Amino acid sequence: MIEPEHNSEEVTRVLFQDFPEWMVVSFYIVAFAAIAVFLYGCYVQIRKYRRGASVNIKDIGHGIADMVKSMLAHKTLKRRDKAAGHAHALIFFGFALLFIGTSIITLDYDITGPLLGLNFWHGSFYLWFSLVLDIAGVALIGGLLYMMYRRKWLALPKLDYARPDRSPEDPDYDRNSYRREDWAFLWTLIIIGITGYVLEAARLVWLAGDPTVWDYRWWSPVGTALAYVFQGLGMSAEGGEALRLYSWWIHGVLALAFIALIPFTKVKHIFTAMGSLALRDPTPSSRLPMVDLEGDKIGYNRITDFSWKHLLHLDACTKCGRCHEACPANATGYPLSPRDLVLSLREFAADKLEKGSLPKDGDALSVLGDGPNQIRSETLWACRTCSACVEICPVGIEHVPMITEMRRQLVEQGDMEPTVQTALQQIQKKGNSFGENKRKRPAWTKKLDFEIKDARKEPVDILWFVGDYASFDPRYQKVSQAFAKILNAAGIDFGILFEAEMTAGNDVRRVGEEGLYQHLAESNIETLEACDFQRVVTTDPHSFNTLKNEYPEFGGKYNVQHASTLIRKMLNSHEIKLKKKLSNNTVTFHDPCHLGRLNKGYDAPRESIQMLGANLVEMKRSRDNSFCCGAGGGRIWTPDPVDHEKPSENRMREAAEIEGLDTFVVSCPKCMNMFEDSVKSTGNEKNIKVREVIELVAECMGLDDAPEPADEKSTAEA
Amino acid sequence: MKILVAVKQIAALDEDFELREDGKDVDPDYLDYELNEWDDYSYEEALRIMEAGGEGEVEIVPVTVGPDEADDGLRRCLAKGGERGIRIWDDAITGSDPSAIARILVKVIEREQPDMVFAGTLSSDHSFAQTGMAIAAGLGWPHAAVVNHLEYKPGDSSAVVHRELEGGLEEKLSIDLPAVLTIQLGINDPRYASLRGIKQAKSKDIEVLSHGDLGLSDDDVGEKGSLSRVRRMVIPEKGQAEMIEGTAAEQAERVAQIVKELKGAA
Ligand SMILES: Cc1cc2nc3c(=O)[nH]c(=O)nc-3n(C[C@H](O)[C@H](O)[C@H](O)COP(=O)(O)OP(=O)(O)OC[C@H]3O[C@@H](n4cnc5c(N)ncnc54)[C@H](O)[C@@H]3O)c2cc1C
Ligand SMILES: Cc1cc2nc3c(=O)[nH]c(=O)nc-3n(C[C@H](O)[C@H](O)[C@H](O)COP(=O)(O)OP(=O)(O)OC[C@H]3O[C@@H](n4cnc5c(N)ncnc54)[C@H](O)[C@@H]3O)c2cc1C
Ligand code: SF4
Ligand code: SF4
Repeated sequence: MIEPEHNSEEVTRVLFQDFPEWMVVSFYIVAFAAIAVFLYGCYVQIRKYRRGASVNIKDIGHGIADMVKSMLAHKTLKRRDKAAGHAHALIFFGFALLFIGTSIITLDYDITGPLLGLNFWHGSFYLWFSLVLDIAGVALIGGLLYMMYRRKWLALPKLDYARPDRSPEDPDYDRNSYRREDWAFLWTLIIIGITGYVLEAARLVWLAGDPTVWDYRWWSPVGTALAYVFQGLGMSAEGGEALRLYSWWIHGVLALAFIALIPFTKVKHIFTAMGSLALRDPTPSSRLPMVDLEGDKIGYNRITDFSWKHLLHLDACTKCGRCHEACPANATGYPLSPRDLVLSLREFAADKLEKGSLPKDGDALSVLGDGPNQIRSETLWACRTCSACVEICPVGIEHVPMITEMRRQLVEQGDMEPTVQTALQQIQKKGNSFGENKRKRPAWTKKLDFEIKDARKEPVDILWFVGDYASFDPRYQKVSQAFAKILNAAGIDFGILFEAEMTAGNDVRRVGEEGLYQHLAESNIETLEACDFQRVVTTDPHSFNTLKNEYPEFGGKYNVQHASTLIRKMLNSHEIKLKKKLSNNTVTFHDPCHLGRLNKGYDAPRESIQMLGANLVEMKRSRDNSFCCGAGGGRIWTPDPVDHEKPSENRMREAAEIEGLDTFVVSCPKCMNMFEDSVKSTGNEKNIKVREVIELVAECMGLDDAPEPADEKSTAEA
Repeated sequence: MKILVAVKQIAALDEDFELREDGKDVDPDYLDYELNEWDDYSYEEALRIMEAGGEGEVEIVPVTVGPDEADDGLRRCLAKGGERGIRIWDDAITGSDPSAIARILVKVIEREQPDMVFAGTLSSDHSFAQTGMAIAAGLGWPHAAVVNHLEYKPGDSSAVVHRELEGGLEEKLSIDLPAVLTIQLGINDPRYASLRGIKQAKSKDIEVLSHGDLGLSDDDVGEKGSLSRVRRMVIPEKGQAEMIEGTAAEQAERVAQIVKELKGAA
């Protein structure tokens, strides 16, 4: 590798070669100033986070391991945007290598060399080093060029910073400064990269006569190619020397400025994103933060109520727009974009918490309101807690817990839609959101020709937690009846809680009424504790979620299954006997958020549908990218305004694009309620039926409702 | 200044219910107790006046005549604001009609000396719509019934009230304090009392008094002190209803047919 006539120690790059001393000194002054600015910026940021509330971080080791894994694989960045993910990987790894390279030089020149007399940056190590960094530079510039192309020519709506939660008259509407920052970031980095090569090439032209440099030129292939171009253009050795000096300073000062500005610009996402990913709660939306009701406050009102972890999350946002694109509220014109929520809070935190002291008037710290960068209550109430944002955020931001915490404050202040207030009051009084008497809860069982066991009075294998909508919604009562018939026909030992069941409280918690939620959870657990059963099964994904993930924190630890899992098992084991198949049906399946995204129950309903022989065609947005029906987070209690599209209509239109679709299959009572409406309001009632997986199974078992008795018909026809 | 708000824990009826064996009331098994809807509005109105005043300038006190369970209603009020409540009960009070209830409340008011007394226009269980007016009569204070808008700033010696009259007419009058107002639904949007707030209100003080504590004798309260008493409750015969099913067109056709039948019969 090293020619025998050359001393390995001479094959290197002489730093500051031919620099007058004042220039070297100036460089060190600039470098130390840059590092000082960087450190001061870090101090300001850390002081900001420390002004947030404390929080328990569980299992940080695991978090860090996960973060490193997803960073190395760029897993979260490639989802739903492969090209951008790959381009980011090029920039990331290119930048990281170049940064490590520069650090190695500093280590050799400023630390191990002067302190230990140990110099290693020469010879073959140097040559390999040069090659690797040359390639890293290509990666960096390539990635940056793609990002520039993407921003300029792809015109992606998710990158246009249009805000649904503000109108152009609002002082905080304009986000052009973000656009300028994005471009400044790309240009600075790319100029650093390009001047690096220019500098390298200029040095080669300058030192072409030195064999310890020129003979090894191909270890820097890009720089060498550029050097030939320069020579071809007639550049002399002196010309090379001059160009090298200019480009050296431009490159050096830009690179140092870049480092100095990290804590003050979007560049800080290098650190905050890593922190955010390492600290992310693996189940942020399915298990909401616990609250001590005895405490003197509840939820997030002031920015200082936010946990320091959530403040860090805010700073991790890279404005990638993935959440903005996935959000059903944003997609249908509601004043909410999870991205803009995060960015408003970030601006608010920067404004209030980065100064030397906190504002004297504590109310100035309130994030709730109509002022600049405050969050409006209409924004918070537009959220369906579907978790599409949390699911796709590449840096692990927890929008749903933050939104819930802010709603907890709104509930405490009584700032909510009258219809939500009514629903909560009904639940306080009657234990269900329908305002029906407790005694009516099991009324749907009266139509069955067998008795369901009372799980309060005798032991059962399966305790079926029916839930509010499955008990009271007239359409879904038919599904509950079908499920009872399936279990009965399969000889399953099951029972229900009759009037002792109260709403499980999943949506009450997501509305932010934590006191009522805890009361419901405790009451239901008390009832369940007095019963003898092996597992809990429910057809309602909302009840399923809270029973499975949240009740354990209140002492209710049960083996909880969603009905679709039980159905799949019974189909597999032939406990369910099919009399016919659905071979002539083209169906699609809509993932309920609480079953799919929140609990990863994507497969059981699909496999069940396939075992029934139906032709299952997926919608464009499915599984983790499923589009919420619009009912979650208590939105089922607020009628959607008639003047714009509802999420369920948006979804039904998507389904209707499937050629020959005859059945839209759901697996949730609330989805059923939403889509029974939207199939009509979108004019698809004639072609498409909305049906539950359970109904399809019952049909194939020959358990459908018997034809209606003649006398009822005659009333209608008389 | 002080506002006393008379609130009542009403009995809400199930759709299906049975009468008590003596036939004078509903079997308590079928009753749920909750705060009279009107009282949510009157308490909210008092809260708003309190919030409009400076720190500690306006005191609001919910008062109820009722047994232990009625504490729940007071707490629901205190969850939203106010520091203390008053409940008056003992067995002798059982069977009181609005005139006796008002007599009790008059004594409380004489003790507390508020500047304003709010009561609901009526209560959703018995619908007498008399308690508020009977209080005013007992005190000899100016009064206004069915107030649907109130203009008052803490410290003023009179208030402007709007009353809803028949035929969409509205009366605007000015009333000198102290006064009794009965508040109508819709005067405001009552806020929500979170369960956490209600629980925390448990630490607030509720003073419990008997009729004796107020200087009333057994003859002043209960059936003896009342002008009316319940002799019998009956469930009237229900008319026949027909559920109309089918498509919208079929339903419309059936409705048209019924209208024709009725016209024919008339
Ligand atoms: C829990 C409870 C149980 C009761 N049980 C009995 C019983 O078993 N037998 C019986 O005869 N009476 C009982 N009473 C008292 C009584 O029936 C009614 O309060 C009284 O008849 C008032 O008539 P009304 O409901 O039509 O009031 P209305 O005049 O229609 O009420 C309008 C307003 O008057 C005020 N008001 C009415 N009642 C009260 C009250 N009790 N305390 C404070 N303010 C009030 C409120 O501001 C209310 O909004 C009970 C009361 C309570 C709260
Ligand atoms: C269900 C219900 C709803 C109610 N709703 C309302 C309401 O919306 N608004 C309301 O103000 N009150 C209402 N009340 C009645 C109310 O609470 C009192 O009974 C009422 O305030 C008495 O005052 P008034 O002005 O209505 O009646 P008054 O004017 O006192 O009239 C009542 C009766 O007094 C007699 N009377 C009055 N003036 C004369 C006269 N010049 N000469 C001879 N006799 C006279 C007549 O017999 C007359 O029928 C309601 C009562 C009930 C039971
Ligand atoms: S949870 Fe769903 S509705 Fe709420 S902000 Fe996120 S994506 Fe939008
Ligand atoms: S919150 Fe996450 S998904 Fe949304 S724009 Fe920021 S980084 Fe992207």
